[in-house]
Amino acid sequence: MTKQTFLHDKHVALGAKMVDFAGWHMPVQYSSIIEEHKTVRESVGIFDVSHMGEVIVQGEDALPFLNKIVPQDINKLVDSKAVYCQLTNKQGGLIDDLIIYKLEDKKYLIIANASRIDEDLNWMVRNKVGFDVQIINESHNYSLLAVQGPKACELIQSLGVEELPKFFSIKRGELFNINLWISRTGYTGEDGVEILVRNEFSEYLWDKLMEAGQSFGIKPIGLGARDTLRLEAALHLYGNDLDEDTTPIEAGLSWSIPRDKKEDYNGKAAIEKQLKEGGTKKLIGFRMLDRGIARHEYEVYFNDEKVGVVTSGGVSPTRGDNIGLAYVKTLDDLAVGSTIKILIREKFYNAEVINKPFVKKRNKG
Amino acid sequence: MNESMLCTKTHEYVLEQGNKYEVGITDYAIEQLGDIVFIELPEVGAEFSKNEVFATIESVKAASEIYMPISGKVVEINEAVVDSPELLNDENHADKWLIKIESEADQVEFADLLDYSDYKEEVE
Repeated sequence: MTKQTFLHDKHVALGAKMVDFAGWHMPVQYSSIIEEHKTVRESVGIFDVSHMGEVIVQGEDALPFLNKIVPQDINKLVDSKAVYCQLTNKQGGLIDDLIIYKLEDKKYLIIANASRIDEDLNWMVRNKVGFDVQIINESHNYSLLAVQGPKACELIQSLGVEELPKFFSIKRGELFNINLWISRTGYTGEDGVEILVRNEFSEYLWDKLMEAGQSFGIKPIGLGARDTLRLEAALHLYGNDLDEDTTPIEAGLSWSIPRDKKEDYNGKAAIEKQLKEGGTKKLIGFRMLDRGIARHEYEVYFNDEKVGVVTSGGVSPTRGDNIGLAYVKTLDDLAVGSTIKILIREKFYNAEVINKPFVKKRNKG
Repeated sequence: MNESMLCTKTHEYVLEQGNKYEVGITDYAIEQLGDIVFIELPEVGAEFSKNEVFATIESVKAASEIYMPISGKVVEINEAVVDSPELLNDENHADKWLIKIESEADQVEFADLLDYSDYKEEVE
């Protein structure tokens, strides 16, 4: 059965076009994906991302447990800080990508993808043998609202939050007399916050944020623009750009993997090997030179040879061209500046390999 | 939308204009697609049978194939919407047709097409 967030009726009343996404009935757009995209790049947008999973990991062994399931060094995570992590299998493949927050000693919050929450929980439970740890799925108790854009922080500060958490940090706060968590994170490449609030307050909070945001030009933003925004920022989408047969190295996430982590973790041998030798494929960014739009699963050719497949592709409203991400073979001469061909409806279209992200991120607040 | 247009269940329309027919997609289809960002049309002179794919329209989210409501030969394409696909979303823009065709389609080909009013009832 399709699930609904506590804001579902609000979206319908706002005239949103609703679609099924990862088992949830979600707004894909309210007015126009391109207009919504521009709103987030130019002022501020509000997103209902309550489909995301929230898991609390706590107990005496919370720290060693987390150190076992992700390649990142959780020892280095201090109170109220967050770290971008991957849940890896024994082969180093990606079960999910996550943000882990340290709420307090021996208590962590994991934000997981809606499409992967069941797999994540199964995997965590399988791995908890021998650890004194509780894994509590809080997804059904919490709503998550993202407020993103160059005016997002100004808006939140105008509501009495004097000091916002720093980039990739979380703090307990209060908005409109509601206790909630404010995190300086997002999935747009813009500055902004994500607000974790108990379900019973989400509708009230949404209304108040919309009201207070009027003078900042706030608009509700659907999953359509969320996708174009994250693609411009070259942020991965699980299921498109990440899967269990892909390692963090292949996904271009080597920057997130510590080289000096002492603890063993799932997939460590495979990941350390790839850190030295590289993976069997690599994720590249490209822009279309010919007029055509590359989409998920279209084939990629280089020197007349099929070398890979597009994982995400589409229009870039900010750049005004068409962009994409693709996994290709790790060939030395296939690099930034190379011309590749994308097979679109049985015809070849030229594209150029370019640096990621496609649009400069502005979220290092 | 012109009330005398005939529509397919796949949201194309055909409108008789003298000895030619105008072919496009319905206002409902445009509304459902959202922002249209790419339109690929056939060459003038191309011939298609009924229900054959003759064009592709891409919205931000996805690519959609467009089918011939009746058979015919392309005599004109709407270059303006190829150059500026967003014109299809523009409420103030009138010329949203895709191609004009010559057709020798018989009654059988028209049999499954819906009057615009019936089509509207079907989709709403």
